[in-house]
Amino acid sequence: MSAGGEEEDVRISIYRFNPETDAKPRMQDYDVMPEAGDKKLLDALMRLKTVDDSLSFRRSCREGVCGSDAMNINGRNGLACLTSLAGLKEPVVLRPLPGFPVIRDLIVDMTQFFAHYHAIKPYLINDELAPERERLQTPEERDRLNGLYECILCACCSAFCPSYWWNPDKFIGPAGLLQAYRFISDSRDTATAERLAYLDDVYRLYRCRTIMNCTEVCPKSLSPSHAIERIRLALVRESS
Amino acid sequence: MRLFLGQRAWMLQRATAVVLLIFLAAAAAMLLAGPPLSYERWHALATSPHGAVLIVVLFAALALHGWIGIRDIVLDYLHSPAVRLPLLGLIALVLIAIVIRVALTMAAHFMTAG
Ligand code: SF4
Ligand code: SF4
Ligand code: FES
Repeated sequence: MSAGGEEEDVRISIYRFNPETDAKPRMQDYDVMPEAGDKKLLDALMRLKTVDDSLSFRRSCREGVCGSDAMNINGRNGLACLTSLAGLKEPVVLRPLPGFPVIRDLIVDMTQFFAHYHAIKPYLINDELAPERERLQTPEERDRLNGLYECILCACCSAFCPSYWWNPDKFIGPAGLLQAYRFISDSRDTATAERLAYLDDVYRLYRCRTIMNCTEVCPKSLSPSHAIERIRLALVRESS
Repeated sequence: MRLFLGQRAWMLQRATAVVLLIFLAAAAAMLLAGPPLSYERWHALATSPHGAVLIVVLFAALALHGWIGIRDIVLDYLHSPAVRLPLLGLIALVLIAIVIRVALTMAAHFMTAG
């Protein structure tokens, strides 16, 4: 029981599924009493875990850096550690990221998501002779990476993108495309043409319909749809 | 084939959208200004060389724009090649047939009117 006496029970309804024992998923209701200092949804989940240790979810940093506790919270993808308990409509309905294969409860299989990420070659490519010290950038060149490098690959955006739901195997999705643009716009990278050629594909890039769910939902306030628009414009420039 | 994939298709979709918008604006202007629409007015338009060419351009733009849009819907929702390929082929054929039909009709008038 809470010592403060101000906190009330929070009712949370969680998607439960263990493929080894369950024929189909079910929703399980829990009442959890937050203790002093429990501000975020993840705090409540951690309390629940002490009561029911069969409940499975991922988490690590608990401060919006690792990207591992992405889930669908009351119909919207978000990070449990950045979602305040105050203001959440009850019962708080928690489901795994939509469109992703469920491994167990709130844990989804990210294999495909990361395959797309690796496919865009998420590293600097530069075959010119390396200078003695670092490759320098002007402040302006460095500024171009703002709004791109902060992505934590939580997959909130891709798992909220209808185009990604329909073609998760072929469409790179907003997260991968934002990352692709991060390297396209890097002044130190010399593979821009190859990167653009890879993306010039009816599936990889052009499944995006500018629905902008991605930008709307990103817990880091990044804008994948803007990055995608910039890739399209770069392709137009490239071809003309 | 590249014409209908990736970036080219995306550009074509936008370019044809602009063409269609211009036609829409022109049609609106025609309706607002000038005498009320009548068979005679349509006939005069379709039988003038400029009008005939414009009508063919309009249908060609419409078919191209429609093709990319419908193709996108098919690529999104229908994943079985056994359904997808015949369906895409059929849609392409119908669209091409429409444009050819319009072009022939327009041309036929000038042939006979000589
Ligand atoms: S863009 Fe935002 S929502 Fe998407 S993976 Fe990166 S941090 Fe997460
Ligand atoms: S803007 Fe594109 S990538 Fe973002 S949610 Fe929409 S379709 Fe998906
Ligand atoms: S636990 Fe790391 S982002 Fe939430």
